[in-house]
Amino acid sequence: MCNYSERDRASMGERVALELDLVKGFRFFDPHIHMVSRTTDDYQAMADAGVVAVIEPAFWVGQPRTGIDTFRDYYSSLIGWERFRASQFGIRHFCTIGLNSREANNEALAEAVMELLPFFIYKEGVVGIGEIGFDDQTAAEEKYYRLQLELAKEAALPVQVHTPHRDKTKGTSRSMDIALEHGLDPGKVIIDHNTEETVKEVLDKGFWAAFTIYPFTKMGNERMVEIVKQYGPERILVNSAADWGISDPLAVPKTAALMVKSGISKEVIEQVCFKNAVAAFGQSGQLDESMLAEHIVIDQGQKFEGNSILRGGQQPRRDAGSIIIS
Amino acid sequence: MKDVEADLQDQITRYLSNQEWNDLTDQVNRLANDPQPNTLARVFTGVPRTIRSADTALRITVDGAVSVDSGRLPLLIRDWPLARLIRVWVLMNIPKLELSAYISLIERLFQYGEMEELAALYAALPIYHYPTEWRFRCTEGIRSNMAPVRQAVILNNPYPSHFLDEGAWNQLVLKAFFTDENIPQIIGLKTRNNGKLAGALVDYAYELYAAKRNINPFLWILVAPFLDERAYRLMEQIIQESQQTLTRKAIAYAFGTGNFAPATDFITRNSELTDLRNTAGTPWDGWLDQTD
Repeated sequence: MCNYSERDRASMGERVALELDLVKGFRFFDPHIHMVSRTTDDYQAMADAGVVAVIEPAFWVGQPRTGIDTFRDYYSSLIGWERFRASQFGIRHFCTIGLNSREANNEALAEAVMELLPFFIYKEGVVGIGEIGFDDQTAAEEKYYRLQLELAKEAALPVQVHTPHRDKTKGTSRSMDIALEHGLDPGKVIIDHNTEETVKEVLDKGFWAAFTIYPFTKMGNERMVEIVKQYGPERILVNSAADWGISDPLAVPKTAALMVKSGISKEVIEQVCFKNAVAAFGQSGQLDESMLAEHIVIDQGQKFEGNSILRGGQQPRRDAGSIIIS
Repeated sequence: MKDVEADLQDQITRYLSNQEWNDLTDQVNRLANDPQPNTLARVFTGVPRTIRSADTALRITVDGAVSVDSGRLPLLIRDWPLARLIRVWVLMNIPKLELSAYISLIERLFQYGEMEELAALYAALPIYHYPTEWRFRCTEGIRSNMAPVRQAVILNNPYPSHFLDEGAWNQLVLKAFFTDENIPQIIGLKTRNNGKLAGALVDYAYELYAAKRNINPFLWILVAPFLDERAYRLMEQIIQESQQTLTRKAIAYAFGTGNFAPATDFITRNSELTDLRNTAGTPWDGWLDQTD
């Protein structure tokens, strides 16, 4: 849940272009991106840049929801329409389902959402509970964070933790302490939106450390390169958290390109931009490397399922007709 | 019911380990004895978890139609993932509860369905009890923008042609042309063909022609029994301009079988078109004899 107004515009600098030739042949996995807020053109650009899979955490949609039905429809769109839209570009779409911290503060609604969650978290392709955690760090946020940690334990699912923008360092420590207090295995918890200030503690405590390349600029990407140089690739993930705010759906490939330029090895880049996401969220039992490798083949089959005739001389194409509202 | 059960079970067991099959039958028996919403939701959603050993790329086709019982329409199983087959089988095992309980039990699955679950739920339209109660649900499926979901209603599914009114049926066929589906896989296309549909298809053909886009030749087969001046004008132009044999064959066929005099005259005047009327090898070959 990436809060537009709180992103530091001054730190963003100039937009960088993707140097596609530097990342040719790479496969990328963006484990945090809010595709409901993005256009189909973004899917196209992501596919062209080598993104083969994404995880879409349930989040705050820019203004508060006022009823339970909009929550249900939102969750349904993450396992339905958005999954289909991604498949049109050969991108495998997974999601994490949860009550975001900001809306946890509306307690009446939060109660109703908690009753709704069990209907979604066992669905195919749901790879965790997320994104949950703290925003204002209120008592209500803490209550629903704890309840959802219990739910994750019960469902044996990984947890994707959003860390607050304000009072981040303390909020991050507190999120981890509470998870440990509830007996969660830190190896199944992904702490998101890390900075240079939080990464050491997160890794030392055995959690996964995800980094959001918010500022889509050279500076943001360069900071990421430095972190990988300093801490190595173990348990580090890169994501875009692209949403309706200023953000970049190509943040993962762009960071990888900069890593190539900085002389970081291909193995390390693959680990932080693909393999670690598979390993962390694969603990849901809903995702593994072989599935991602076979995906492209299955998907092309799916597109023409029940429509086995590729008319004379036609190449398999993206099923754009389905995106056109017909 | 028994035969079908055996048929489907035979299909399903072929791809599962003994353990998986036992787990599945346990769940389904529990469901048949006590169809609680939560039990159903868990069993239905959990199918992929229950069948982990199965190949997810597998697609199953069963020749012909699988009859369920005299009160229900048959199933046409064409290129179904195993999970879909199992889910439909699970749905078949829900006992016929009192109407509102039965409907709300299944409607709830629709409300919370992910993409493949929705495809299974719509593919199962023929086997639900209280068949007339599912008309609105069927039209919702046709409106879906997710291709696998829409295809599960539109293609190889006998429910729509039996239960939709003319307006909804025509929308189904128009939608199938718009989304470039394999038209002969629409069940009941021939028996439900009608003049209003033909008129709408001709409008659509004019639109495509103006935009210089391809027109699916099958469109002319549906228009054939309802040829009129407006249809004829466009078809006459296209049969002379088109380089595509199938298109010319479809129009020649339509001209030759309809009762519209200018079309019949056109065929008589252009004897070189006689060969084109041969339907062998065309998508409408065989389909023309279809009675359902």
